[in-house]
Amino acid sequence: MLRLNINQLLAVILFVSSLGYLWMAFQIPVFPIPRPVDSDAFPKMLGLCLLILSVFLFLEKVPANVAEDKTSKEADVADDLPQTGIMNPKMQVLGASVGVLAYAFLIKPLGFLAASIILGVGLAYWFGYRNHVVNFVTVGSIVLSLYLLLSKVLGIYLPQGIIPF
Amino acid sequence: MKVNLSTPLKSLALIGAALTLTAGMAAQSVASDWKPSKAVEFIAPANPGGGWDTLVRTAANVIRTENLAEVNFAAINVPGGGGAVAWAQIARDNRNDHKLFATSPPIILVPLAGTSRFNHTDFTPVARLITDYSIVLVANDSPYQDINDLFAAIGENPRLSVGGGSAAGSMDHISIAGAAAAAGLNAASVNYIAFSGGGEAMTSLLGGHVEAVITGAGEAVAQLQGGDLRALGVSSPERIPGLDVPTYKEQGVDYTFDIWRGVMAPKDIPEEALRYYEDLFARMMETDDWKEATERLGWLDAYQNSEEFGAFLDGQLEQFRAVLGELGLLRN
Amino acid sequence: MEALNNLMYGFSIALDPINLMYVFIGVFAGTIIGMLPGLGPMSALALMIPITFNLNPATGLILMAGVYYGAIFGGSTSSILLNAPGVAGTVATSFDGYPMAQKGMAGKALAIAAYASFVGGTISIIGLMFIAPLLSKVAVSFGPAEYFALMVLGLTAVVSLSDKSLVKGLIAAIVGMMISIVGMDLQTGTERYTFGSIEMLDGINFLVVALGIFALAEVFYMLLRGGKKVQKRNEIGSLKLSMSEVKEMAAPVARSSVLGFFTGVLPGAGATIGSFLGYSMEKRLAKDGDTFGKGNIKGVAAPESANNAACGGSFVPLLTLGVPGSGTTAVLLGALLVMGVTPGPMMIEQRPDVFWGVIASMYVGNIFLLVLNLPLIPYIARILDAPRALLLSLILIFCMVGVYGLNFSSFDLVLLLVFGLIGLVMRLNGFPAAPLILGLILGALMEESMRRALQISGGDWSIFIDKPISLVLLLIALLSLGLPVVKKMIQKSRSA
Repeated sequence: MLRLNINQLLAVILFVSSLGYLWMAFQIPVFPIPRPVDSDAFPKMLGLCLLILSVFLFLEKVPANVAEDKTSKEADVADDLPQTGIMNPKMQVLGASVGVLAYAFLIKPLGFLAASIILGVGLAYWFGYRNHVVNFVTVGSIVLSLYLLLSKVLGIYLPQGIIPF
Repeated sequence: MKVNLSTPLKSLALIGAALTLTAGMAAQSVASDWKPSKAVEFIAPANPGGGWDTLVRTAANVIRTENLAEVNFAAINVPGGGGAVAWAQIARDNRNDHKLFATSPPIILVPLAGTSRFNHTDFTPVARLITDYSIVLVANDSPYQDINDLFAAIGENPRLSVGGGSAAGSMDHISIAGAAAAAGLNAASVNYIAFSGGGEAMTSLLGGHVEAVITGAGEAVAQLQGGDLRALGVSSPERIPGLDVPTYKEQGVDYTFDIWRGVMAPKDIPEEALRYYEDLFARMMETDDWKEATERLGWLDAYQNSEEFGAFLDGQLEQFRAVLGELGLLRN
Repeated sequence: MEALNNLMYGFSIALDPINLMYVFIGVFAGTIIGMLPGLGPMSALALMIPITFNLNPATGLILMAGVYYGAIFGGSTSSILLNAPGVAGTVATSFDGYPMAQKGMAGKALAIAAYASFVGGTISIIGLMFIAPLLSKVAVSFGPAEYFALMVLGLTAVVSLSDKSLVKGLIAAIVGMMISIVGMDLQTGTERYTFGSIEMLDGINFLVVALGIFALAEVFYMLLRGGKKVQKRNEIGSLKLSMSEVKEMAAPVARSSVLGFFTGVLPGAGATIGSFLGYSMEKRLAKDGDTFGKGNIKGVAAPESANNAACGGSFVPLLTLGVPGSGTTAVLLGALLVMGVTPGPMMIEQRPDVFWGVIASMYVGNIFLLVLNLPLIPYIARILDAPRALLLSLILIFCMVGVYGLNFSSFDLVLLLVFGLIGLVMRLNGFPAAPLILGLILGALMEESMRRALQISGGDWSIFIDKPISLVLLLIALLSLGLPVVKKMIQKSRSA
């Protein structure tokens, strides 16, 4: 059975993306005044390079040390973290990603202070920090001093949101 | 309409308010009673350091030091898309009468080039404040002695490179292409090389990498003093005081180009607010602080009130549309 | 002798108590702003313009210059401790600084950064003092063709920066270049890869990519694999350097300072390119080049001396030509104009007080920075002692605040996440991040200068070899690509 290793899988993804990139490069309009090298030339070249390199990547042998890395990864994880529930490493990364996204959409309605504190405390909890008082005090004071520095000392305008301060 | 007038005093106040309102509408020159109630956001639609930013910060500072307004004018940078990001934000906030922004030819050029959905008609002109003019520079040892030499050379050699400080199809390019067209050349025959700033273009000229450069006269003053560069012509209607450079017109090319800067507000602000700001900027330009600042920065006062500025902008639109059309760059 | 007289005159201005105070305020504020990831010196400088209205021009520029080089100085701290570059110029510092910190040598890395910055800064001031007017000739001799050749030379570093798999390194570099050309094309005004969004018209901010690929990806990586415990905890704050280490770093610091300074002199190159060139040059020259990227002390010293030297160098085009080489120096130029000083060829004659005063104040400022930073290092390094979960959360917050502060755009935060995830995938599969950043820095500049040159020449490619500087740079690029191959062939023939 044909089984792709991770390099080959990525090579396929890159190959397809570079085709998409090239297609877009061919959509770039021609500049009405003739140019020796127009806007589309460089993107076409880049797309072509990526296309060729992705083929090379597909054919590249997986070096032995990647396999080595994998065993050390398992050892690391087993050492540090329980694998179940939210402490599952994948859930951790997912949680952090959702956190960044949430921050992007909440910073304006909630304001800088509230959004930063909620997210900072929440993420630390998600990552497994259980001393709630220390968590809140540390994150709170760091965010507050950042806010004071940026908004009061430097005069940078930050959204105030629900805490009008 | 149902108004409950419980006390004579209140009704008196109401009548008074109504009177001022009508008076304000009837006689526009009279300052209204409208006043900003909180800090006014004064937006520079670009990063710190450029023309818009300098205008905003200088004006905000003069307004503060001369106590022209009770509230603070807060300079805010909203960079992106050559102004388009800020314009989109302001257009969305079309009733906010505590928001102003600095403006200049890109508000007409960028929409014409098709990269902004909003143009000057989506905002209220408040006042034109200052202007600068384009200037054409060559190296001191260049064979071209006046603007006609240069245009003649361009006519013979379409490769002759003219550098400028902004993208193709934007201000500097339009300025030189328009001048070339007025001199009888095809606007597209100017081999315009876009640099990422007037300074960078002049450096290239100093190093002999391009044959000529078009940039703002204010930006060129220091280089002209240095003596390595020479100016062939300036796009002003008359000679600029203190700058011994002949105009295009003097040299037989009937063409002027203003790099004007002014202030605009969102589209649907109340009439009284507009009058207030119009009056404020008119008063600002009378102060000593402002005069001192414009002198330091090499700006030329070019005040127009809201109505004149609006008509001027419509005229600019036609002028730019014609040049862009001839270049084949009109996308909108 | 004349330079010394001028310098004495400069010191008489810089040592004035009021100016001394502003130097201190400037470098102090700069260090702090530099330490915060993302938030660069540009916004801080813009906010100082109103303050400088009321100052005399020399004092105003002394203050603002202090913020600028202070920020570059302080920017290394978050690069080393958190893998989150404080300013664009310190991205390269994280390549070896962060691994050093992970090995428990945070204090040492920070100390090396401080000393290297000091040396780089000082060398650049000496250069400014003696040859600034001469150097402006160097700056103008670089036209589009020369810049193109310089960018090509810079890109050859991809080979040395991609350690295990050249194919993966090249892919990363290509992707970096693809990111760099997003936005409006200056030569034609055409939009490319913006997907119709006006937020993308100006392209993707360098720091959004850098913070995503480095800091965010590192946080994700640690979450996925469990961070390695920092070893040798007791040494974490130790600043000690052995004599042999100092000797080892002396030559790289000197070389990188000079290289960085010249890069800074060229408008449009600057601290970021300078630090990358310094780093890759030392990696190629070092006998232990393969340990670069794993915590080599020279890998911290080289980019740090280069970026500070470049910062000093960038004052050459600013003051003698009136040309800002970067967004930050553009703000400085704007402020000078507002104060009524027009930088340009006549500046040294017209306003010697500003010119020499600022140069002298840089000596003072650099000493302040060293004295201010060294004693703080043991305390700052203890950040790494914080509980892991709390620290990771704080790094995320710092990155997001920094990115948000760039443009106040939620869109940038989404991009940050995208690049964080890309960075994670790259890390897990052995794609090096440095070539991507290099492609990102050089890609658009290379394309732009190439097309500019060709448009000037009317499409004639010989412009790149007709110009002597361009030819030499291209030959060096060719040589640096060919040399490793030749070396390998010699080794093979020997072993055979």
